[in-house]
Amino acid sequence: MSRIGAKLLAALLVLLITLPFVLLILLSLTRDWRYPALWPQVWQTDQWLVFDEQWRSLLAITLQSSLLATVVAVLATTAGFFTSHAIALQRNARHWLALALLPFAVPPVVYALCLGQGFAALDLSGHYFGVVLAQWPFAYAYAVLLSHPYWTRYNLALHELAHSLGARPGQIWWRVHLPLARGVLGICLFQTALMSWFDFALVRMVGAGRVETLTLRVFDYLGAGDLRQAAAAALLLIAPPALALMLNPHLLIPAPLWRAQT
Amino acid sequence: MTKALAHRWLSVHGLSKTYGDTPVFAGLDLNLARGQTLAIIGPSGCGKTTLLRILAGLARADSGCVQIDDKDVTEATPQARGAVYLYQEPLLFPHLDVFENIAFGLRLRALPRARINTEVETMLVALELTQLARRRPESLSGGQRQRVAFGRALAIKPALLLLDEPFSNLDPQTRANMQQLCKRLTRQHHSSVVFVTHDLKEALIMGDGFGRLSQGRYHAYQDRAAFCADAASGVQAELAFWRDGAAGRPPRES
Repeated sequence: MSRIGAKLLAALLVLLITLPFVLLILLSLTRDWRYPALWPQVWQTDQWLVFDEQWRSLLAITLQSSLLATVVAVLATTAGFFTSHAIALQRNARHWLALALLPFAVPPVVYALCLGQGFAALDLSGHYFGVVLAQWPFAYAYAVLLSHPYWTRYNLALHELAHSLGARPGQIWWRVHLPLARGVLGICLFQTALMSWFDFALVRMVGAGRVETLTLRVFDYLGAGDLRQAAAAALLLIAPPALALMLNPHLLIPAPLWRAQT
Repeated sequence: MTKALAHRWLSVHGLSKTYGDTPVFAGLDLNLARGQTLAIIGPSGCGKTTLLRILAGLARADSGCVQIDDKDVTEATPQARGAVYLYQEPLLFPHLDVFENIAFGLRLRALPRARINTEVETMLVALELTQLARRRPESLSGGQRQRVAFGRALAIKPALLLLDEPFSNLDPQTRANMQQLCKRLTRQHHSSVVFVTHDLKEALIMGDGFGRLSQGRYHAYQDRAAFCADAASGVQAELAFWRDGAAGRPPRES
């Protein structure tokens, strides 16, 4: 590709990534911006400037969503990393890995419907713990798939070597794998947190209206026809992942250290 | 130490291993005296690596027992055995520099910082790697990497050092240097070593005792002369090859 072509492609990508942000900012700053108007006619900034009850509620929900996503991500990544190691040691690792694809064969909404009854019977509906429990299988399976490539022949041999040099299991994980798998663990944490952060179906079904998340709130605003508030909430929704990606692009692209050993 | 005890530093009795339906070896017995090096030769795929991995506790035998210093370690975990297994390819921790790689085993034992520094610096001098102490593994040559791996193993003063063709990937000159270095350092540290190779010359340079593993059977030689005299060891064929070459005769067909 020529230099000009590459620059054009880069500009197009930047435009595609920033366009939703621009659109959401515009939507949140305008009133009655409707088709066929191509540009907003009435501007209104009060909702960004006045810290009212609605904002306080939105921030509280953002905190709850962050906590939920963090718990799911940490539990799924930890379990997924250990499981992927156990799978890498099996002769028929590919078969075991195929099992990790099973949760994705069922659409979350169908899965949520099936869980609904059971969770209600176990009194897990309407609790954050129930939502964590429902989201976890997806996040866990994804963490297994994401961390599996870390277990190269080289890294498995390092595991044995550390054992041979006298390391106890905890020391091997702490002194060898944690520093080496920093990149892959970061990706796992980020991606599984996103799964929980953007989840709608499971929170709606298992949360039974008593568990609120930011994603749910955006849908509620849209359902109520409050486009401005929905746009403001949607900006809050996409800001944390966008910020994380800006600070560390390796959350999408593996770090060089990890690639060097594969 | 009595002579009897000296001859029982490492004792292996009736060791057997199969992979699926394929037997690797059966009824294997071997002994190694403290501070000695046992060189084991054998063709590729004869089970040399499997034997070392069992001795290190990284693989399980189907039957038999392993004793180190009169203690039965057959069921012991690798970290409880004090036997360090050195791979054919020099495995270094890529996130640690040369100094920290050598210090790895010492830090696991939570030794005082000053003692770790002294021991690692002494080892760096012995390995002639002082100038490279803060270099990362990826910037080292194959020989330097192998020296670091070797120093890291020796630094923890292992009860048993298990070397799996450690110099096979090195060029002839580096290999010769490493053999001398290895011999000197294991003598200095009074290390007990099982050295596996398929190179006869290397076996003769490194070994104090000799064994041959072939077709699932282990044969221990009484001494160096017995090893050289045995047609199956390949030494006689090697000597004939060089004698013919020196006399200007073409090599004989085997």
